[in-house]
Amino acid sequence: MIERLDESLPDIGVTPQTAQILAPGPKSVALLSDLYDEPDWMRQARHEAWQQYEAMDLPDPKEEAWRRTDLKAYPLDSLRVVLSARELDGIYDLPPCWDYALAPVDQVSGALVHCNGARTYAIMRRDDALSGVILEDLHIALKTHGDLIRGTWMRGATTRPGFNKFTALNAALWHGGTFIHVPAGVRVARPLQSLVALDAEGGTNLHHTLIIAEPGSRVTLIQDRVSQDSQPELNAEVVEIYAGAGAWVRYVSLQHWSEHRYSVTVQEARVAENANFVWVAGSLGGKMTKDFLRSDLVAEGARSMMAGFSFVHSDQHLDQSTYQHHRAPNTHSDLLYRNILKDQTRTVFYGMIRVEPEASGNTMAYQANNNLLLSDARAHAIPGLEILANDVRCSHGATVSRIDDEERFYLEARGLPKPEAQSLIAQGFIRPIIERMPLAHIRQRVEDEIAERFWL
Amino acid sequence: MALEIRDLHVAVEGKEILKGVNLVVERGATNALMGPNGSGKSTLSYTLMGHPKYEITRGKILLDGASLIEMTPDQRARHGLFLAMQYPVAVSGVTLYSFLHAATSAVRGYGERTPTATRGRLNSHLMPMREFRQELNEKMAFMEMDPAFLQRYLNEGFSGGEKKRAEILQMALLKPKIAILDETDSGLDIDALRLVSEGINTLQKDLNMGLLVITHYQRILNYIHPDVVHVFVDGRIVKTGDAKLVDVLEEQGYEWVRQGMG
Repeated sequence: MIERLDESLPDIGVTPQTAQILAPGPKSVALLSDLYDEPDWMRQARHEAWQQYEAMDLPDPKEEAWRRTDLKAYPLDSLRVVLSARELDGIYDLPPCWDYALAPVDQVSGALVHCNGARTYAIMRRDDALSGVILEDLHIALKTHGDLIRGTWMRGATTRPGFNKFTALNAALWHGGTFIHVPAGVRVARPLQSLVALDAEGGTNLHHTLIIAEPGSRVTLIQDRVSQDSQPELNAEVVEIYAGAGAWVRYVSLQHWSEHRYSVTVQEARVAENANFVWVAGSLGGKMTKDFLRSDLVAEGARSMMAGFSFVHSDQHLDQSTYQHHRAPNTHSDLLYRNILKDQTRTVFYGMIRVEPEASGNTMAYQANNNLLLSDARAHAIPGLEILANDVRCSHGATVSRIDDEERFYLEARGLPKPEAQSLIAQGFIRPIIERMPLAHIRQRVEDEIAERFWL
Repeated sequence: MALEIRDLHVAVEGKEILKGVNLVVERGATNALMGPNGSGKSTLSYTLMGHPKYEITRGKILLDGASLIEMTPDQRARHGLFLAMQYPVAVSGVTLYSFLHAATSAVRGYGERTPTATRGRLNSHLMPMREFRQELNEKMAFMEMDPAFLQRYLNEGFSGGEKKRAEILQMALLKPKIAILDETDSGLDIDALRLVSEGINTLQKDLNMGLLVITHYQRILNYIHPDVVHVFVDGRIVKTGDAKLVDVLEEQGYEWVRQGMG
């Protein structure tokens, strides 16, 4: 049933023993294009993006989106692209701590693993492959689906080189990428899985993900990120999602960065007529993380459901800017983000709903951000509404709460010690979101990890 | 082998509610505690279980000779005390299954054998799943509960009868020595009351459990027959007798006791 497709890596002349480290600069930009034998348009796009990167300042801390996350703490000097080719003989060659991130192969339609930016493992279920479903390294896909990629490449409102210095950096030096293409009308039988892993020599993560679901197709991607960093490292990641007319697309985005990783990610979904987009985002790791998460409902009948959970502990700092953009009538968006804060953590949620004049008529937008504090942590929630249309139903709300004493007493009265009672209640707080993730293996893994963290 | 309450005084926010309660509940025996609203019945049940809101100003609570007062609520539960609550609390996101698994494991001492560092991930502090599942299925059938219940969130959206059945299901799994039933009949229709009462009676026999049935009305006592009946007024027991006392109270009301006290 499962077969390994062609796993030949582009010959970039490096091995694990001779991994090359590229410093950021115009030479490195050109070298990446050389190594991957990229088409001229990509060479040009990288070059222009590098020029933009050099010309741009870091985001202004006075800007609303950056007011509460101090980029001075980011290890911007340690920027480096690590080129290493590591081919695995099988999924069981993965380090055990990463292996469990992957669901059993018979439960997925395909899986793709990147280690330190290099494609290290790929499988695809035969039936899905025969239907034309592609899950492949973006460097390879540039050769097979170059025109398709070119047609959409970094044209989003946020997923464009000029959005900020980090998207420019990704556009110029992206290295390692996940590409998905689902032909019109094709339903991918089981979830696809992508694992982006970096070990102690991983360097900056500049992964780029592009999902193109053609009209009437159906696909789920579970994308997970793990790292083992020995020093402060940067993550500058971009995710672009296109849900064609009538498509159903689910993107489960998980991150388990090490406590040394500082991240800026920009993720945007463009949802076409009568398409459904389901987003589940789970953030567990990282020292400081800033996410821009945006769904654009561009045509009538588009729907998006964004859900997120996080559990931060120690001195983690998590900052999320979400954007629900309505550009057509009869569009519905719903957002539910829940954070659990332990120890001296801080979270920022900046949620915007914008309804354009042309979205008048049966448009609905909801947004809720709930924070559960287990300590003297701080949660900031700043909801925003920009409604320029009539006949629109909108609501938003944010809450900050602590564990309810009566709930805790009830559990304690049934024999659970206080910390266990608290852990159970806190896990219950985010369970409605965890339940939106497919595959029991993935849900269980996340729940176990959260339970484990409770005792740290 | 008993629950002993000696000269128990309890205050809430500085106001004395219990004014010297003396009561002994033997293993295997059924004690009814009847009293009007506002007499302090629920204060007694919460105090026995260790709710932090209630401050013990004087007196003793002993279970098989060990003092409960210094124990946290979970320690009391693990020591064999159970409180079936009048208003079971809903806990969103916690499935009945995961809660029952955690509580049963805790009371049976699985947690104490596990070092803190290895908790969580391997679920090493939990009773083996297969063993638990088998016992749970038997108890669910005994309480005539649909297994689909297990995936619902604890008490969330449960009807009155479902909540009380879930309480008795917990009692069946936790196997207490002494159980306090706080207004367990409230919110139950006649069929649910019969089912719940039969459950309690069977468990009492199986576990040789001592029962303290706290109630305003005689209704539940038609199903759970008391050996001893206490009348509770204004924070203390004012009269103790056998089951016939229930009928007298039903006829003459609590006013009769109050006048007797005057």
